[in-house]
Amino acid sequence: MTRRVYCLCLAMGMVWILNRGPALAQGDHQGSHEKNAAGFEHVHALAMDAAGGAIFLGTHVGLFRSENGGRSWQKVALATKHSHLDVMAVTPDPRDPKTIYVASHEAGVFKSTDGGSTWREVNTGLGGLDVHGLAIDPNVPSKLHAAVREKGEGVYRTTDGGGKWIRVDDGPGGEIKVLTSVNIPTGMGGIFLYAGTAEGLQRNPDCF
Amino acid sequence: MGGLPTNRTANGFAVDPENPKVMYVAMRAGLFKSTDAGETWKPVGKGLKDLAAVAVNPKRLSEIYVSTADGTIFMSADEGMKWKRQ
Repeated sequence: MTRRVYCLCLAMGMVWILNRGPALAQGDHQGSHEKNAAGFEHVHALAMDAAGGAIFLGTHVGLFRSENGGRSWQKVALATKHSHLDVMAVTPDPRDPKTIYVASHEAGVFKSTDGGSTWREVNTGLGGLDVHGLAIDPNVPSKLHAAVREKGEGVYRTTDGGGKWIRVDDGPGGEIKVLTSVNIPTGMGGIFLYAGTAEGLQRNPDCF
Repeated sequence: MGGLPTNRTANGFAVDPENPKVMYVAMRAGLFKSTDAGETWKPVGKGLKDLAAVAVNPKRLSEIYVSTADGTIFMSADEGMKWKRQ
């Protein structure tokens, strides 16, 4: 039998709702870190472009692209001045297959408008460059939210496709693993942001 | 919002773009699916473990991909019922 527990996390006056369920069976552990044959070391993100053709994999050793459903991968060069990039999120524009955003542990947010051939950093206004989550509004793709950790920690919003970011919220409790805008109306003029965190799945109206 | 393992990390999250009440969460314990916007969750994909991420093909909504933490990809063509390693 499942039980329903709602936990309210107050953040700058907004409420992140923590999803709780029954306890997990023993044997599930966290923290192992194995290196596979392909050398990804650790995967953080998986996404398909808007055309449903290319799959992108965000990993501890960079961004990879597959054109055959994940059977083989080619590394995608993001920036020359960073020898190592830990790619934390991959966020394709849902309407334009050529526009893709990537969030990194070291260098903030990158944007490509040519399907991933070239990239530029779009970090103006971000308080820090350790970005662990990046959500794009499915209704207004120029509107994105970024979850920054450590320096400048919080949730930031851009309404011009990364031209400028503004801090809008402290964010949910627990380390953010993934951040997604979901086209479910809040009844307050916005839609919901869902955050996968170390404390489970949380959600919050995006109208902060 | 019951049915997800308690106090465990939600590593990955994906939504059906045409029906956003259908959503998936990737965890170490496996893949979990909701069809009611997260009110209730059920495990899908028996045998899938140590998952880091999940994605829905926006052009074929029944096609779901997951990645394990080390980068092994599995694909389902039927919304998570049956899976094959890529």
